[in-house]
Amino acid sequence: MKDLFTEIWESIRRNKLRTCLTGFAVSWGIFMLIVLLGAGNGLMNAFLRGGDGIATNTMKVYPGRTSKPYDGLKEGRRIVLDDKDVELTAGNQFSQYVDDVVATVGTSTQVSYGKQYTSGYIEGNYPSRKDIDRIVILHGRFINDKDIKDSRKVVVLPQNMAENLLGGDGEVATGAQIGALHLGAEGDGKKVDPAALIGKFVKIGGLAWQVVGITKSDMSRNDNLFYAPYPTVKTVYGKGKAIDDLAFTFHGLKTEKDNLAFEKEYRAAVNLHHRAAPDDERSIWISNRFRQNLQMNKGTGILNIALWIIGLFTLLGGIVGVSNIMLITVKERTHEFGIRKAIGASPWDITKLIMSESVCITAVFGYVGMFLGMLACQLLDKTVGQSSVAIMDEQIAMLVNPFVGLDVALEATLVLIIAGTIAGFFPARKASMVRPIEALRAE
Amino acid sequence: MLIELKDVNKTYNNGQPLHVLKGINLSIDKGEFVSIMGASGSGKSTLLNILGILDNYDTGEYYIDGRLIKGLSERQAADYRNRLIGFIFQSFNLIGFKTAVENVELPLFYQGVNRAKRHQMAMEYLDRLGLADWAKHYPNEMSGGQKQRVAIARALITGPKILLADEPTGALDSKTSEEVMQLLSTLNREEGVTIIVVTHESGVANCTNKIVHIKDGVIGQIQDNFSHSASAFGTATIMK
Repeated sequence: MKDLFTEIWESIRRNKLRTCLTGFAVSWGIFMLIVLLGAGNGLMNAFLRGGDGIATNTMKVYPGRTSKPYDGLKEGRRIVLDDKDVELTAGNQFSQYVDDVVATVGTSTQVSYGKQYTSGYIEGNYPSRKDIDRIVILHGRFINDKDIKDSRKVVVLPQNMAENLLGGDGEVATGAQIGALHLGAEGDGKKVDPAALIGKFVKIGGLAWQVVGITKSDMSRNDNLFYAPYPTVKTVYGKGKAIDDLAFTFHGLKTEKDNLAFEKEYRAAVNLHHRAAPDDERSIWISNRFRQNLQMNKGTGILNIALWIIGLFTLLGGIVGVSNIMLITVKERTHEFGIRKAIGASPWDITKLIMSESVCITAVFGYVGMFLGMLACQLLDKTVGQSSVAIMDEQIAMLVNPFVGLDVALEATLVLIIAGTIAGFFPARKASMVRPIEALRAE
Repeated sequence: MLIELKDVNKTYNNGQPLHVLKGINLSIDKGEFVSIMGASGSGKSTLLNILGILDNYDTGEYYIDGRLIKGLSERQAADYRNRLIGFIFQSFNLIGFKTAVENVELPLFYQGVNRAKRHQMAMEYLDRLGLADWAKHYPNEMSGGQKQRVAIARALITGPKILLADEPTGALDSKTSEEVMQLLSTLNREEGVTIIVVTHESGVANCTNKIVHIKDGVIGQIQDNFSHSASAFGTATIMK
């Protein structure tokens, strides 16, 4: 083994510039591969960070309008979900999969605190909705079981509403203002601490409600939506059987196919309850987070593959280069191979020499490229990774952890070895077929 | 018989078929010191290549020590070359980027002998040829005679049955040529190495004990030369 490396080193030493120039192409290829994959990972991490902590096994059901005539009723009829749908969902038919069913009900209203007031939408909710909707509590707590049981008049307000109620201009803050508040810049409203509102009573619809929690404003939802216990809202606003929407968690649906089959069966059951065609896909909307997640994973998978392909094609240039210099090397060393064969080198001995030289060049320069690539990823993290963009008033980092894992490093190593072998194969074959008499005559 | 050639024929097919060896019959015994003499184009180089298993022949039989050398795989041929034959070339054919000792080691490397052992053996052989001080030198730092002696050390290190020398003095001046021939002669006399020298120089041939004349692909005269009086230009020197 040591002899082999000595031979390779001797050969490389004689062609330093040529080897370095070609090696650069390999380094560049691997460098690009690592940086691309790292940046890709960073981008995906930034996207997926939004998904942190979401329970993925949830479905939400919203009402829609029928799109087919059925059971003597015309299409275009508005569907209103009701308690019966909740019972149906939680009932025996789906008990194999469905765990926990929660409904919401709500109405537009006005909230006031002292002289300040703001309009909003009060939504009656259950504790488990916190996880399903990924509600982030900044201060205090969310609705709890006791609130539900006792039908307490408590509310959980979003940060921006709380800030509005505490001071400022008495208008619902616009996105820009909230963005400014996030950044701590001077805005129209005074700087206020929303936590000050916890334990205080606000007036909603002429009744006093105690504020128990402040949530992070989520601009992807209505920014003046706030939460109260479901039974309280239902009673206070006399909503009867109607509900806004319902959500449930489920288990045992592992594949896309399972999920689609379940959705179909579920849709049929709910549709029938509302006298809509079982296959009417517009009467109710089902938003299945598990399936969205699957699709997202598929999307990131495709992006990953695309990056690999681009990286590998960049690397291909380097490999062709290595193959090329190996061919030149073989041509130059024909005489030497002839001597070696004359004194007893078998074709395999010669093949081994060229192949391992090729693998060595590829691997060494590849590792240099890999190292530089990882360095570049660190640099990306220190620069672009520290900046963020405001999308819908939420600070979204451009790149989160733009690194490649050990698995990618191992895969890249494998790629390098394979690449080196391929690059060396044809030159090595050519070298092994050198006939000693031809080679010795060549001088 | 160490070497036996029976009706060996060889034709080159490069456009015009060229019948180079036309039925060669030759026997060489162990310990002989033979030269094959002929003009250029006589087929002597082809014969040497066949003897050295560097080339194959079309018909006939070639035995080394009773072993039929025919239709060998490349790997097997390489192995036989390594173990049975030592080569000495006109242009030395040392590997330029290896030192003298590394060049001598090389045949043992292909036998899989470990590093320390083969280094020690190579040093021994260099020492015997009076080149121990030159072990670490590269071929281009040595004179022609020194290079040829390194090549001889390399040829001897595997303990081959046959030493094949192709115009061993072709690139040397007359004095060095004589030294090299003396060396071969000593090796033959004192260690019983079978040596076959291919040459077109009668002075070189005269140093050997048997001269095989080859002409137009057939063996002409086989001349015993123990008296070393075959040279047309006198017996004392190799004419250049």
